[in-house]
Amino acid sequence: MIETLRALGSGFTNALTLHHLMWAGLGVTLGTAVGVLPGIGPALTVAVLLPVTFSLDPVSAFIMFGAIYYGAMYGGSTTSILLNTPGETGSIVTTIDGYAMARQGRAAAALATAAIGSFVAGTLATIALTLFAPPLSALALRFGPADYFALTIVAFTSVAVLLGESVLRGLFSLFAGLALGLVGIDQLTGTARFAFGIPQLLDGIDVIILVIGLFAVGETMYQAWIHGRDDLQPVRIDDFGGMTREDWRRSWKPWLRGAAIGFPLGVLPCGGAEVPTFLSYMTEKRLSDDPSRFGRGAIEGVAGPEAANNAAAAGVLVPLLTLGLPSSATAAVMLAAFQQYGLQPGPLLFSSRPDLVWTLIASLYIGNVMLLVLNLPLAGVWARLLLVPRRLLFGGILVLSSLGAYSLNRSMLDLVLLYAIGVIGCAMRVSQVPLVPAVLGLVLGPLAEQQFRRAVAISNGDVSVFLTRPISAGLLLAAVIVLSAPLVRRRRSARTDR
Amino acid sequence: MLAGVPCAAQSTYEQLRIIAPAAPGGGWDQTARVMQQVLQQTGIARAVPVENVPGAAGTIGLARFIGAERGRGDTLMVSGLIMLGGIVTHRSPVTLHDVTPIARLTGEYEVVVVPPSSRFTSLQDLLQALRANPSSISWGGGSAGGSDHILAGLITDAVGAAASRVNYIAFSGGGESLAAIVGGQVDVGINGYAELSAQIDAGTVRPLGISSHTRVSGVAVPTFREQGLDLVFENWRSIVAPPGISAADRGRLTRAVDAMVQSPPWREAIGRYRWIDRYLTGEPLVSFMNSEEQRVRSILAKLGTDGDTSAAGTRGIYPIFVLSGLALTGIAALIAGIRSRQPSVAMAPRWRSPVLVGIAVVANLVLAERVGFVAGSAALFWLTARAFDQRHPLRDALIGSVTAVAAYLLFARLLDLSLPAGVIEHWL
Repeated sequence: MIETLRALGSGFTNALTLHHLMWAGLGVTLGTAVGVLPGIGPALTVAVLLPVTFSLDPVSAFIMFGAIYYGAMYGGSTTSILLNTPGETGSIVTTIDGYAMARQGRAAAALATAAIGSFVAGTLATIALTLFAPPLSALALRFGPADYFALTIVAFTSVAVLLGESVLRGLFSLFAGLALGLVGIDQLTGTARFAFGIPQLLDGIDVIILVIGLFAVGETMYQAWIHGRDDLQPVRIDDFGGMTREDWRRSWKPWLRGAAIGFPLGVLPCGGAEVPTFLSYMTEKRLSDDPSRFGRGAIEGVAGPEAANNAAAAGVLVPLLTLGLPSSATAAVMLAAFQQYGLQPGPLLFSSRPDLVWTLIASLYIGNVMLLVLNLPLAGVWARLLLVPRRLLFGGILVLSSLGAYSLNRSMLDLVLLYAIGVIGCAMRVSQVPLVPAVLGLVLGPLAEQQFRRAVAISNGDVSVFLTRPISAGLLLAAVIVLSAPLVRRRRSARTDR
Repeated sequence: MLAGVPCAAQSTYEQLRIIAPAAPGGGWDQTARVMQQVLQQTGIARAVPVENVPGAAGTIGLARFIGAERGRGDTLMVSGLIMLGGIVTHRSPVTLHDVTPIARLTGEYEVVVVPPSSRFTSLQDLLQALRANPSSISWGGGSAGGSDHILAGLITDAVGAAASRVNYIAFSGGGESLAAIVGGQVDVGINGYAELSAQIDAGTVRPLGISSHTRVSGVAVPTFREQGLDLVFENWRSIVAPPGISAADRGRLTRAVDAMVQSPPWREAIGRYRWIDRYLTGEPLVSFMNSEEQRVRSILAKLGTDGDTSAAGTRGIYPIFVLSGLALTGIAALIAGIRSRQPSVAMAPRWRSPVLVGIAVVANLVLAERVGFVAGSAALFWLTARAFDQRHPLRDALIGSVTAVAAYLLFARLLDLSLPAGVIEHWL
């Protein structure tokens, strides 16, 4: 422990030079910007910067990459809250209550709780990364396909709270997402399914296309649909001041819980940024004294998931730095960056390049502070974006969404797909079908199917692995408890009513 | 262009585009980006934009390359063994015969590893178990039909067991398969040496053999051959040009690649990335690629496109479950909706606004491809704004144009993403 702190101390001495602070500052600014832009993520940004940073020393480059990664997690919530358009996939659930808050004139408070929550969770997770990285990664390796399958089942239970007002319509949305997840090459056999001979569909439907299409394009089309020129109401903005005392009271627990959910799931080598946010949202709604506020601007629904996605980002660095395992797109690009400098990230990186690792970790603390300083004042500025006349706002949203979708694969077909999904999103809004279950289905469906089949293949066809492996059995039990808890509670309260 | 060294002008490319048919971070992307650095540094090309066209083992990039770049003498694409596998498994309508081969650049040997606690202590142990019952051993590696899968098939085939019974578990991406291998979730792991070397050095996995012809210097792993398995295999990477280019263009590209390969920065990069120099051009390259294609086709046929035998029963159930669930909930929701007759938010829409938005997106699709990005985006912006409020046509047109130009400059110049370009973009 003392050794760790000493190493971290020397990391801070390194990171706090003007030169390194400058790169961290540039990184957080860039990261926030790409986080705000839908479709452009940190992975692409780091990849584009790689040749530019080749002439830099590796320490400066990694400080900047780490800052970009964290910054994107901060920025992703901004458009979710203001425009109902998630900037990153980790901010999808934020749209539910964040956008509702914005429409009630509380955009600044929502942005503030997202920024502070990101800071709190990011810092806590970085502390956990500092202290427990090696044992945690050893634990993460014990997760096998059966356990990942069980984890997706736990995540699926969160759909129960995302369904919205009608269970039937919510399930329809979920199944639509699952069906979209069928499209593309079947990972385990390499054969194409439901691609209809279109090569661009071979890799499946990108979650980002679905998200931008359903949310950004769909919202614009829906607004046009219900629009009559007379009832064009500007969004109210009551205050730019941020959070009230009540907001703080409601936010701090979700921040901590979000960190506790996000960090361990980020550590798992195939977690994904979305799963912890779904689970955090579910947790907050289940623990709430008044779950009916969720979906109508509950600040907990923003605070929890936004904390969770930042904690998960820190968690991703655990397997990357300790084992050389990239578990997100950004981590994969950072791994490539290590190789560019002739470094081998792996079990020996901590001992072979302690200066690099500890300076990087120290700069993550610093980056978090910088991001808070950058984003808190920005919350009020961003909120004023809603004062832009709506016709221009919607025009801008469509231009940016199209750009983001096109730049994913540089494919016109993606644009066609984007607009088609936009029409579907509009139709879903008109017929009051919730959108988030569809995204959940597309994210979790393929994961669950693949891991299930991998587990069964490894055990040579024995389906009992899910119950004989302790982690998997424990998770499945947790899923059963989560699903049955409301029923039990309902029965109990019915009894007391009598 | 006013600048330019007169004597170097002939050999210097003003611009040389490289397509990486994969997502950022993988081997093909790295190859493309190293080429970018070296070509610019050595002055062989002034600007080298790299474009990622990911998907389906590079076959999506290949199809696009053949379709969109035909005849272009200033464009290259990274390719390799994995693309050969992808062409077979994904039944690609286009193949590597449809492009112009330029050079094989690098190769990477594959290693077979087991967890330290494994019952297999040598390659012979593994081969014996494989001979007895190939399906009892689970192999973990990268995507189905990729280099790891192909090698698992070749090894099984070489010991005389049925390759169709290989129990290969495909994982996506480097991280996921590495985690499964290091975590001991599978019996045997197969991966490129570069990806596994750090784990081998640290002792978190035990290497059983490497697929090189002779021992690689600095690598303390015995070859398959010295352990009695006569099998040599490499995951080679190459560079190809579009179809339909002139002989002069082809010669010029070959000379440029040749100059790059000879340059000190390239040699240095090869060392840094622990690649193996496998430079090969001309007629030998063509015959090499043909023999590799033969080999890949034959082993993938033996593996069967669905090498996934044990889980075959569960494969068909899931799609049926999903589709019937979709149909059932859809019908039920529809009936419930009709029964309750809830007053929907917009029973009587005004058609003008939604129709205008529809026109806006169609206009963008048409204009972006025909006229360029800026015109498409400006039209998209203007028409959408008109859908919501039609009082300021001129002002909105101006704002739309400025937005489109700003977005173009941000994405194309700052983020270096190639967008559909026309007259306006060239002028910018």
